[in-house]
Amino acid sequence: MLNIVFYFQVHQPYRLNHFNVLDIGSDSSLFDDRLNKEVMLKVAQKCYLPTNKLLLELIKAHEGRFKVAFSITGTAIEQFKLYSPKTLDSFKELVNTGCVELLGETYYHSLAFLYDRDEFLDQVSMHRELMQQEFGYHTQTFRNTELIYQDSLSDIVYEIEGFKTIVTEGVDRILQWRSPLYAYKNYSKRMNLLLKYYQLADDIAFRFSNRDWPEYPLTVQKFVHWIDKLSLGEHKGRNQFLNLFMDYETFGEHQWASSGIFDFMRHFPSEILKHSHLGFVTPQETADLANYQQESISFPEPVSWADEQRDLSAWLENDMQHNAIETLYGLFEKIRIKGDEELLRTARLLSTSDHFYYMCSKYFQDGDVHKYFSPYDSPDQAYIYYINALAELEERLMR
Amino acid sequence: MKILMFTWEFPPLISGGLGMACYGMVKALLGLGIKIDLVLPTKEMVYFPLEKPGDVDTLPAVFFEQSKQLRYTAQTFVTLEERLEYIGISDDPESYFQLSDIKQYVQSIKKEYWISETASVQEHELLQQMTDSLVGEEDLIHKIQEFTMRSERFARVLDYDLIHAHDWLTYPAGMLARRISGKPLVTHIHATEFDRAGGPGDERVHKIEHSGMRFADQVIAVSEYTAQMIMSRYRIDSGKIKIVHNAFSVPDDAVRGKKRIFKGPVILFLGRITLQKGPDYFLDIAHKVLQSHPEARFIMAGTGDMGRKLLRRSASLKLQNRFLFTGFLNRKQVERILRASDIYVLPSVSEPFGISPLEAMAFGITSIISKQSGVAEVVNHAFKIDFWDTDLWVETINHLIANPEKCIKMGIDGMHEVNKIQWNDAAVKIRNLYIATLAEYIRNQE
Repeated sequence: MLNIVFYFQVHQPYRLNHFNVLDIGSDSSLFDDRLNKEVMLKVAQKCYLPTNKLLLELIKAHEGRFKVAFSITGTAIEQFKLYSPKTLDSFKELVNTGCVELLGETYYHSLAFLYDRDEFLDQVSMHRELMQQEFGYHTQTFRNTELIYQDSLSDIVYEIEGFKTIVTEGVDRILQWRSPLYAYKNYSKRMNLLLKYYQLADDIAFRFSNRDWPEYPLTVQKFVHWIDKLSLGEHKGRNQFLNLFMDYETFGEHQWASSGIFDFMRHFPSEILKHSHLGFVTPQETADLANYQQESISFPEPVSWADEQRDLSAWLENDMQHNAIETLYGLFEKIRIKGDEELLRTARLLSTSDHFYYMCSKYFQDGDVHKYFSPYDSPDQAYIYYINALAELEERLMR
Repeated sequence: MKILMFTWEFPPLISGGLGMACYGMVKALLGLGIKIDLVLPTKEMVYFPLEKPGDVDTLPAVFFEQSKQLRYTAQTFVTLEERLEYIGISDDPESYFQLSDIKQYVQSIKKEYWISETASVQEHELLQQMTDSLVGEEDLIHKIQEFTMRSERFARVLDYDLIHAHDWLTYPAGMLARRISGKPLVTHIHATEFDRAGGPGDERVHKIEHSGMRFADQVIAVSEYTAQMIMSRYRIDSGKIKIVHNAFSVPDDAVRGKKRIFKGPVILFLGRITLQKGPDYFLDIAHKVLQSHPEARFIMAGTGDMGRKLLRRSASLKLQNRFLFTGFLNRKQVERILRASDIYVLPSVSEPFGISPLEAMAFGITSIISKQSGVAEVVNHAFKIDFWDTDLWVETINHLIANPEKCIKMGIDGMHEVNKIQWNDAAVKIRNLYIATLAEYIRNQE
């Protein structure tokens, strides 16, 4: 049996204002509420509301045979409440079907794991509480920001938070000859580990509307045919898992409705379910379905799902990114000593990984993706506003 | 007395010290009863007949074409900005007008004036050198060509006693006007290519500067430092050079009281982020001062071609959130950053004058200025250090941070000193130079 594991990432950051030196100490807001509202309303209308509606219809139509997983950040939930409560309601309705798994992550979609373990654990438990409170859901599976993963991450989320499954990128340099279609164990064999099948996931997420792609247009029949072919490689009756992980905004936002992405999704489950050896499961179900000795895989260095390199270079490569993030985590220490909750909250909003992504100065194709997502003219501008915001934070700290 | 004056910058058309200097100077000259027809690189073909000091703020304009003038006078403008926009003055001096054909420029100018038989051999050579140098595909060169072509009509139609041209961008126009009218030319040197480039610079610009100063009847240098430079580098006859230092007047609406942004001491760099201004020295100084005074904040205010490089370098030096960039600031914003600063530094590699320190001093900010600057000649209550002597800059700033009472006293003394440096004194010197030049001219006519 080959099971498709859909997991969609739902995230919106609090984007910074064009915050200048002269704004420091002036009590002007660090965050661009107008832009954040505008983006939320746009994405809700183009993606969240129509896609949630579609998924709900599909879940009902297939009576438990179609399942998906979401990871929804705390900053996204907060902004649903502020600007689009209907969106939050529609997610609740989906979760109530019982065919939706919610994953755990950092509340602020941060890189705290790499810089401040205490802060990381705080943000993980804040997110877990939020999922409990909003959805009555206890998360079992963990995904770190941008699928960043390394061995030591599995240790702390297992030991301290008791997560059972973890998801990350199926990076070639780690997998080598192994297939991402099987469920693995982490290096210490204590956690169930799922790896994104990036070729097929990215066909939907990145290439779907690309007319220069030789496979364009991607039809449901073609895609299901490829999936069917994957299942032919397994002769021992082992359960396989095709992990299609992607940003939820793929639907209607990154790939516009006019590309046919909604029609694709509408017909995809029924086409899959025509085949008795194909189906859908959620990440946490995979551990029990793995009817074989799961091999353990070690990730000594951090990986992620971003860009060609699938490493940390989208957020932490150039000097601007390093100076910015090191300055931020330096401030976390001082804020904790002072015990100021409001400042801690602000620092946490500044810990969202998007801020560092905007400062990325890699060229080529990846740079284009960064540019598409950035509210600033250049990485330098993003850096200037961010550093000014940190200067403001420090002045508030000294008050 | 009436002057035909060419300049590339005048508020609100301003990118640096040239515009501020022209503004103060013209206003003071008008106060002495001198009338000035001002020509700027505007989009529309206009000039500004200025008669009284207040005209520098209202900028009354006259269109050259009758029909356009009629349409212009029929317009009602609510604000000054609206009117200036109509004329084609923008805040960005790099974007005024489109260019017509370059060939047309060379042909029309060469044919009629340059090669004319009445020119002396020396004049001919200088005009030739200027024309040959004013060639290139850059936007700026195109704009200067256009400006120069237009000057022909101004030179012919307007009535004036003397021509005054500021910096190389307007020297070709000044030269052409002198050639056409036979009226004496004063070229004013605010900065040479050596200063701006922080090195040899563009040879075409040197040649235009050279021919302009040689062609002129009188040359005004903004400092002793600059006078030395044009004597040694351009071999201009010292008898032709007069030194008139710039001055600074605080705008009437300026608010100067301290208004802190940061709790720690603030050290300010204010100017174009170009090699000439020594911004890289500022960064080195900041790096070292922050090691002993992490509470200090260094602010780099302005824009320029080295901005990106310095931003990246400040990040690589891990200066955290202690070295900040403001980007472009308008006048009111400059005022606010000055009110928030404690120490002003001008580590210029070569600064012909440098008005900005006077502005900082007028705000009571302790100033440290490069010895390689003209402004160092006119103020006493400021620290003067060789631009390259980073350790001494660092020591001085550390000392001022450790002794805030000394820093405040130096700032107040500096403020009193700057208040005495008036544009009127400079204008009197310029008027005297105009008179002497005209007297010489009339003597030669006889």
